[in-house]
Amino acid sequence: MSDQRPTILITGASGGLASIVVDILTQDYRLIGVDPRPMPMGRNFPGEFHQIDYSHRKMSEIFRQNRFFALLHLGRVRADGHTTKSFRYRVNVLGTGNLLRLARKYGLQNLIVFSTFHVYGAHQANHVHIAEDAPLRASQLFPELVDAIELDHVATTFMWQYRDVRTVVLRPVNVIGRRINNTISEMLRANFCPTLLGYDPLQQFVHEQDIARALYLCLKGDKSGVYNITGEGAIPWSKAILQAGSIPIPVPSFLAYPLVGALSKLRLSFPEHLIDYFRYPTIVSDNAFRKDFGFEPSITTVDALRSLRPSGS
Amino acid sequence: MIEALKNRLIELTLPKPVRDRVDQAPLRLNSAGFDPWGLDPKTVKIATGLLRWFYSHYFRVETTGIERLPKGRVLLVANHSGQIPFDGLLLALALVLEATPPRIVRAMAERWVPTLPFISTLFARCGTVVGDPQNCVELLNQDECVLVFPEGTRGSGKSIFKRYELQRFGTGFIRLALETNTPIVPVGIIGCEETYPAFFHLRKIAKKFGAPYFPFTPLFPFLGPLGALPMPTKVTLRFGEPLKFEGDPDASDRDIQLKVDQVKSAIRSELSVGLAMRGRQIFTQPGK
Repeated sequence: MSDQRPTILITGASGGLASIVVDILTQDYRLIGVDPRPMPMGRNFPGEFHQIDYSHRKMSEIFRQNRFFALLHLGRVRADGHTTKSFRYRVNVLGTGNLLRLARKYGLQNLIVFSTFHVYGAHQANHVHIAEDAPLRASQLFPELVDAIELDHVATTFMWQYRDVRTVVLRPVNVIGRRINNTISEMLRANFCPTLLGYDPLQQFVHEQDIARALYLCLKGDKSGVYNITGEGAIPWSKAILQAGSIPIPVPSFLAYPLVGALSKLRLSFPEHLIDYFRYPTIVSDNAFRKDFGFEPSITTVDALRSLRPSGS
Repeated sequence: MIEALKNRLIELTLPKPVRDRVDQAPLRLNSAGFDPWGLDPKTVKIATGLLRWFYSHYFRVETTGIERLPKGRVLLVANHSGQIPFDGLLLALALVLEATPPRIVRAMAERWVPTLPFISTLFARCGTVVGDPQNCVELLNQDECVLVFPEGTRGSGKSIFKRYELQRFGTGFIRLALETNTPIVPVGIIGCEETYPAFFHLRKIAKKFGAPYFPFTPLFPFLGPLGALPMPTKVTLRFGEPLKFEGDPDASDRDIQLKVDQVKSAIRSELSVGLAMRGRQIFTQPGK
């Protein structure tokens, strides 16, 4: 093969985040994308793309045929309306386990795992600026989130056990942006957005461009560890909705939980335990990431929220 | 439109010099205008505007020694009383209205406060934070003015027969002051202990509602919501000399307790001077 660039394996390649990240990486790296979902219509992956489940035995063939410089594991399946618990467990836990086993077997040098700040859990006693060494309360609060927490555990255990692979586990806050299709971005893009009546916790957001740059810094850096990533500042949920150009609709909690519970059974909404993230603040600290990787968010929270709509109004 | 209404409300209720005082308070806000704990200066202005009358005409608050308040980080430690914590509110208003420079008090609230709808949001916007040691350390390291009631609900939930008797103090605040090298200002609050004269508490009912206590006062619960009306006692806030402690924040409980007792006796002496000056007239202006 004539291509001498180092090769990166990207999971979750069909997702919005991957589409932004590959734009930055395609210059310096040869890219191979995998995802259990098909590539969306009208989008081309700049490199090889395989539609495959990460726990499938054919993953090892991809590792056998390539020598990867890095694995960018962006492919965590979120708990939104379209996925079942068992599917999430298979992809997030069994799939990640399989990827890490192969990474070890075929001499991977750099591993970057995209976890989430949800692992800290939304709790009334949360202090502000939760650091990476805080207990992962979500396991006790929301058993439904077990796949996300276990993914985080699998990755951090791997990091401590196999120090020859440089491993970075990232716990970003809500990623928002025009090309991102996660629950929070979709909620903010809608004309009306629910809030919990009487509760208005601060939320942290990070813009898609900033998170892509953070991933790039991780690839270029030499540190390993667990890191939170946040944007510029925290903002109350109702204000975030207004800044994004949507209209907040307060829903009393005695209605919100059963309503969302029923809708999520019909796969029309996120699971009801995620409502707690709109009830109690979960504010994390990104001091470690800023210090170790020289990261500084370039887009303010307000600008990030305003960028969600094409008109910007 | 809501923002315009808020601005109009602030203009109507607060004269410009007082509005400017809130803006003079040292704060660290992000691009959206909030601090990481959810403080919003605009809400502080609205609350000050609406409650100023209670401060100066209902409770006729007087302060002594407020000029002793050091600039930069400071830990206010006060006696706690009165079922509904008006003492914290009046102290916070005093620091906005009378301190130089004006300070926005960061009160440490019970951990269940965030579970209360509306109140949780209002408290956070006005500067209250969850009483977690890590919150306190970070606020002090940012040179904020933090208020703690080391008696907690032991103080606020006591009956009228125990007024001005300091209950057991928690010891965490001394360790935090030592860790962050913060001066402690003892504050004696006189007058708030009689706002809701609770004769006794019903523990079982409190437990059923998940409340820390359920008091019986002359007006509550017999007069329903009207029972929440506080007695119009005259309130005096006495700021003591700042206490500077040195030592190991991880010292044994015994060593820490000695320092706690020092703070406690400083508050006690402010209380006894204030009570002696007040005499028996709890509703009226004391003769000077």
